[in-house]
Parts: sequence; C-alpha cells; structure tokens
Amino acid sequence: MLGLKSKRMSLRDAVGLVPNGARLAIGGFAVYQKPMAFVRELVRQGRRDLTIVGSANSCDVDMLAGGGCLTRVETSYVGLEKHGLARNFRRAAESGVLQVIDYPEMVSWDRFRASQEGLAFWPIPFLGGNDVLKYNAEIRPFACPISGRPMHAVPAANPEIVVIHAIAADEQGNVVFPARRLLPQSGDVLFARSCERVIVTVEKIVSKAFIRRHARLVEVPSYRTTSIVEVPYGAHPTPALGRYLSDDNHLEEYVGASATTEMFNRYLERYVRAPADHFAYLNLIGAERLADLQDLDSLL
Amino acid sequence: MIAPPPTLHEILATLLAHEFADEEVGFTGLLTGAAAAAFGTAIPLVSMELARRTHAPNLTILLAGCYHNPDLRELEALPDSEHSAMLRDLPSESQMIDYPGQWVLKRGDIDFGFSSAVQVDQEGNINSVCIGPHERPKVRLVGPILQPEHMALFGREYVMMPYHEKRNFVEKVDYVSGVGYPGGLAGRHALALDRGGPALIVTPKCIFDFNRDVGRMIVKSIHPGVSVEALRTATDFELGDLSGVPDTPLPTAGELRLIREEIDPRHILLPNRQI
Repeated sequence: MLGLKSKRMSLRDAVGLVPNGARLAIGGFAVYQKPMAFVRELVRQGRRDLTIVGSANSCDVDMLAGGGCLTRVETSYVGLEKHGLARNFRRAAESGVLQVIDYPEMVSWDRFRASQEGLAFWPIPFLGGNDVLKYNAEIRPFACPISGRPMHAVPAANPEIVVIHAIAADEQGNVVFPARRLLPQSGDVLFARSCERVIVTVEKIVSKAFIRRHARLVEVPSYRTTSIVEVPYGAHPTPALGRYLSDDNHLEEYVGASATTEMFNRYLERYVRAPADHFAYLNLIGAERLADLQDLDSLL
Repeated sequence: MIAPPPTLHEILATLLAHEFADEEVGFTGLLTGAAAAAFGTAIPLVSMELARRTHAPNLTILLAGCYHNPDLRELEALPDSEHSAMLRDLPSESQMIDYPGQWVLKRGDIDFGFSSAVQVDQEGNINSVCIGPHERPKVRLVGPILQPEHMALFGREYVMMPYHEKRNFVEKVDYVSGVGYPGGLAGRHALALDRGGPALIVTPKCIFDFNRDVGRMIVKSIHPGVSVEALRTATDFELGDLSGVPDTPLPTAGELRLIREEIDPRHILLPNRQI
C-alpha cells in the first residue's frame, strides 16, 4: 500500500498559493479566530490587489489595508468591536483606494451558502429600499417564478481561495472543531465548504488516532483541504476558542499604532516585516503574555 | 428612607418593558463604549428582564442574538464580546452556534430587536455605513451589519440612539442601511417590506414614534428636565407643534425596586445610578 499524502506546508509556501489579485475569503468572524499569522505573511510577502470576501471582518482586513494589499472588500462589517473603528481600513476607504461593497450580515453568510450549494446566487426577499442595492450592480432584481414575489439575486461569495484558522488537523487535512463552538467556528466550516482551495492554519497538527477519537467533530475532511499549516497562536491577537482568549492589550496597541500611516508602518516593521518568522513574532509578544491568554474551557 | 429618584436609564428600561407582550422573542446585540453599551445592550436587557418579572414571564431574551435567556445574575461584567469564552460559559437555555440556527429569521421568529446607528432621519431610516458620498466618504463607518435584517425581518425595531445631536438626527441619512417608513406603510409595502420597521426611536432627550401613514417621526414624549427648545436645537429636522407632548412617564416604586434589588442588585448592567 502506498503511503498517505501529507498536506503539511510551511506558512511561507501556503501563502505563496495566493497570487496577486486573488479573491480570498478569510475565516473567523469579526474579532474572533482570524488567521492572523497568515495575514501577516501576506503583508510580509507584499501581496497586492487582493479582493477579500467575508461575513464580518476586523484586523484581518485592516492590516491588509494598512499593508497596501487590497483593492476591494465585500463584507457586512469591518471594525474592531470594543476597540473601535478599523483605522487603516477607514483611511483606505476614505481616500478611494479601497472599494467597499456592503452586504447585510446574514446575506453575507447566504452568499457562502450559495457557493456551498453550487449556485450562482441566493434569493433575498427583504432588500427593498436599502442602499445596499444602490451601490451594487451585481445584485439583480427578479420575480420569484413560483409566487411572483419581488426578490433580489445576490451573487454567491465565490472565493478562489479560503483560509481559516482551526485548533487541530492531521497531516492529511482532516480538520477538527470543538464541540463547544460558537458562531465563528461554524462560519469557518461553511467557508471551507464553499471553495476547492482551502488552506487551514492550525494550532497543532495531531495524530490520526486523535482524529479517529473525534470523528464526529471532523467537520472538514481531508478531501476538502488543500494544505495544512501548523501555526501555534496563529490567530493572535484574536482568540482561538478553547485555546486562548483575545489579547486585548495588543489590540489596544494595534489601534494606537493605527492612528497614522507612518505609525502603522512602524507597527508593521516591528511585528510583521522584521521578525524572521512566526516564532520570532511570538517571542516579541512574550511567553508571559501568551501564557496569560490561555482559555481553560470546561473539562467535561 | 426615600429611594433615589429614577435615572434616565431606569426610566427608559421601564418604558420599553411596557412595550413587550408575553411569549415574544427579543433580540439585542452587544454595543461597546459606555453610552452605546448602555443604550444598545444594558437598557434592552433590563427592560426585557423587567417585562419577564412583571407581565411577560414567557418572553425570550436573545443576548448578542445567540444566547437564549442567559442567567444575568451570573454576569461579572456587562458582556462586550459577542463570541468570546465568557458568553460560551454563561448559563443560558439555548446557545445558537450556527446560522441558520435556532431562530428562523426569514419566517418571523424574532418579534422585536434593538439597534443603534450613527444617523437616523425623519423617515426612520438608519445609517452605520458612511458619512458623505459612498465612493469617497468623509467618514467610513463599520458597515450595514445586521441592520437590514433588523429593520425588515424582525416584527418591530427599537432604535436606541445614545447621542441626540444635530449630526445624528438628520433630514436624510447619507446611506440607508436600515429602512424606515419612506412613503409610510404604503411605501414599505411597495418595497415588498410587509413586516417590521422602527417602533420607537429612544434618545437621551425624548421618545419618537411615527405617523406611519405619511412616514414621519413624531415626538411621543420628552424626558424630564429636557426643554422643547433643547430638543429642537439638537434635531436637524422640523419637529412640528410640541405643545401637547407629555413628559416621558416614570417607573412605579415597584418597578424601581425590581430593577434595583432583583434584576441588577450589583449595578453591573446599569452602573450609573445617579444622573
């Protein structure tokens, strides 16, 4: 019998799968469980002209905007929740260099549901009068062919590449999700089922035996994944549910450093461009901080 | 001992509690920043809990949209993160962990919701997307988030405005991210919006209702201590004749006691007891 194929990749090589101009979906939701190590590597490699399609975004889109990597964003939210507005995103949108296509929140999920179902659009019956329509020629009106009810066809999310951050997978790409999950983790599962190029960064690559013990929680099986990248604390400074909490101190530092383009360039130099790799970044954050962030979930 | 007089937050929570019927489902998100969190999260939670303890024991509270009837007594602080470990671990009757999930959004499971905005106009349209032109905004804000759904799919909406100044209460919003009553109820019908829309607009100065036939905001009551003059000065659209407008009603002693002794005895939801 031939050996099993490994989908393990370095962070650098996995980010190399994303070309300039790609249409990329970044998993996580708002300020939760964003694949930030992957985002930092996109900035480090100087990727350009990306379109980000998402459900709700935060420092992922904001850092890419500050790094000059974006031309277009399609989502329902870009902000840092309790930490305030996403200032790099705001500057890029206000200067006109970043095109923002606004979608309602659950419609953003419906767009990924359309992709999952292999459909070109999802029918939405409640957009009348909303300016979401005014600035988006890709949303088309139609009458329901059964009832005649006026509706809108909202284009499928249609990402070319999806990247999510999960807690564990095996080398073959079986990805496990915690039973005590919340909305962001379920969004990641939806994203991973909406596209045939799925990159998963994980806290830890685990054995096949571990995967077999948690078969019911393997929501994304190996045949849906393109590559697996082991990146401990790979969502930092956002949380990874069941592993660590949000680094609110770092997010405050991030927001402070986002006040001007010059200050943010200094942030990128210190935390993104200068560190040789992800572990050099973690050393900058420090063992004490990382230990303090651990999330002790229920032991049951 | 005479109890301290009701605070603005207690007045608003009580007024809202009277709006809810038994067996309804109410949805509140998490807003952050002291004023927004009070208006968008804390007052709605207290109002729904007060309704449950008085006339609506079967009302379902959806905290952050996902956590059904959370045990508010277990809170150590007002939640400020919607999908964090803190809410994962807060005891509740049902936890929504996926969309679609427990509530069937497009079949009308949610009877009322609370939202907030940077701008609201006299038709009740709300905006959280941008100030100025969309392509080159003066201020780019967060985006529509769940406002389109709140204002079209929920049975009715309470728009909670933490600030009441001319820049917030405008003739016409710069971007309609939640639809009010353009052309009144007939206008909503023509847009295929057969349900929902703003019920009340709640501000630190007054309560607005609507003339739903013409689709225009009207002042329902003015809060104690706020002058008609101050209200006009803070609003960018014409308010009409305000001579017959009553004061916003105050909580009864019993309602105040419930809020202070049973719902929020540790001042976690409404920390500022004095105005």
